[in-house]
Amino acid sequence: MKSLDVDIQLKRGAFRLEAKFRAPANGITVLFGPSGSGKSSLLSAIAGLVPCGGYARLGRDLLCDTAVDLHVPPHRRGIGMVFQDARLFPHLTARRNIAFAWKRAPAERRRDIDEMARFFDIAPVLDRPVGNLSGGEKSRVALARALVGTPDFLLLDEPFAALDGMRRRAFIQVLLDMHKRFALPMLVVTHSIDDAASLASHLVVLEAGQVVTSGAFDQATREPAFAALLDPRDHGAAVPALLLHSGQEAGHKYLWLRADHIVLAAERPKAISARNILEGEVGALRVEQDGSRLVELKTPVGPILSRITGEAAAELGLAEGRPAWALVKVHVLQH
Amino acid sequence: MLSPAEAEILSTSFSVASLALLWSLPPAIACAFLLSRPVRGKFLLDGLVHLPVILPPVLTGFLLLLLFGRNGPVGRWLEEVAGIRLVFTRQGAALATAVMVFPILVRASRIAFESMDARLLEAAAMLRAGPWDRFFSIALPLAGPGILAGAVTAFAAGMGEFGAVITFAASIPGQTQTLPLAIYAVLQQPGGENEAMRLAVMSFTLAMSGLIGAEVLQYWMRRRLHR
Repeated sequence: MKSLDVDIQLKRGAFRLEAKFRAPANGITVLFGPSGSGKSSLLSAIAGLVPCGGYARLGRDLLCDTAVDLHVPPHRRGIGMVFQDARLFPHLTARRNIAFAWKRAPAERRRDIDEMARFFDIAPVLDRPVGNLSGGEKSRVALARALVGTPDFLLLDEPFAALDGMRRRAFIQVLLDMHKRFALPMLVVTHSIDDAASLASHLVVLEAGQVVTSGAFDQATREPAFAALLDPRDHGAAVPALLLHSGQEAGHKYLWLRADHIVLAAERPKAISARNILEGEVGALRVEQDGSRLVELKTPVGPILSRITGEAAAELGLAEGRPAWALVKVHVLQH
Repeated sequence: MLSPAEAEILSTSFSVASLALLWSLPPAIACAFLLSRPVRGKFLLDGLVHLPVILPPVLTGFLLLLLFGRNGPVGRWLEEVAGIRLVFTRQGAALATAVMVFPILVRASRIAFESMDARLLEAAAMLRAGPWDRFFSIALPLAGPGILAGAVTAFAAGMGEFGAVITFAASIPGQTQTLPLAIYAVLQQPGGENEAMRLAVMSFTLAMSGLIGAEVLQYWMRRRLHR
């Protein structure tokens, strides 16, 4: 497993991109930022598809280094990429698309195509021309193809952008399963906070071509520079969650608790339907532009945010240091 | 139905056009691919490729004579090193034809490469495919129908080349006398109109079937490619 170290500059007309960050060897790093912040350009630069300045390193292998005029071509970087549009080869069947990667993978690391097809649940459509596949099938074939290419690091450029609702969540689950099984480090681009929380262990936040913050997901999301990028309705906090599958530990992920979804109580609530009650101490109280209050509550699982009206804040007598209880409806957690 | 002389003319035309296609197709595909990519200085190449369209065919033939003639730099070298003589031979007729149909091939292939989704080449690169590999495994198969259609058109056009061929290779029956050259030759003789008409119908039929063939082939291959 190799980590990715990047310190690159890229210029495209008036747009300048300067990015320095590290994507660790274990875990999924999410590259987050509004549209036009340069996420896709950054990914292309790491892949070697566009020329750039600076340096990038994958484990101990240099990918590019302007100082010594080194630019490893994309096909020799050991990096895989899954694009927004699956980019399957239209003249080949799904199986032959995957076989394309298999033939070019190092012989000693080759993965069995049929086994991969079962893992990604595409076995029944393997011999179809790719034009006949649904959106979800296409993205899974693209994932299988990338994985059969045995990369040391995988870049994903919003691979679920074309999917919605259930299929999107299912695809994210496939990504998580895949990461767990193959321990492949990944850098995933997304602009959805829920997707980011479901996937990320680490976060790199890009705005107007600059990395504004990066680090462990829960810490990086607490940075004001990150909150400033969010739609106010998405303001919230990340809490770590342990996934259980029939009583067995099945992995860790973060949940994004939106401030708008959290109810605050000044006393321990009784006889109430909400199953998740978190006790904590009131931290910072911020007055928002619309007059509402964004209340920080320090709980045992970390600080969470709740948005309440000015009147409610006054009525509850919320003040820094006072105890309060946060009520979370369990269904908002089911992302 | 065909007289022995007519059969000979037809076979000369076929062999000249086939040879010309064989020689000009690989460089034409290479040129077209380069022109379809963001390459520096491609305007120069583009101009050069289209020169035979702009120049009078007689001039193209004359330039070929200067280059490949027995006293031309390339011609002398070929004769000394490989013992190949091009002037007034079938190979010569094929060379003149190859130069003339080259722009047709480049244009058709270039359109085929340009209408292919170039981002697929990036996807192939991310699967460890190098530049040559990407060209042969992705670009060429995807541009195949367009290139093939261009080749059929070029073949049909090659059967009818006149100016450059007669200048460089002359009109020798059984050697370099293709259909149009034969039509011209019989028209020079008194009372040759009848024979000229027969040859003209042959020429017209071949040209038309070439064009229609190209369309059908392209349609059929596209359907096969994107089932």
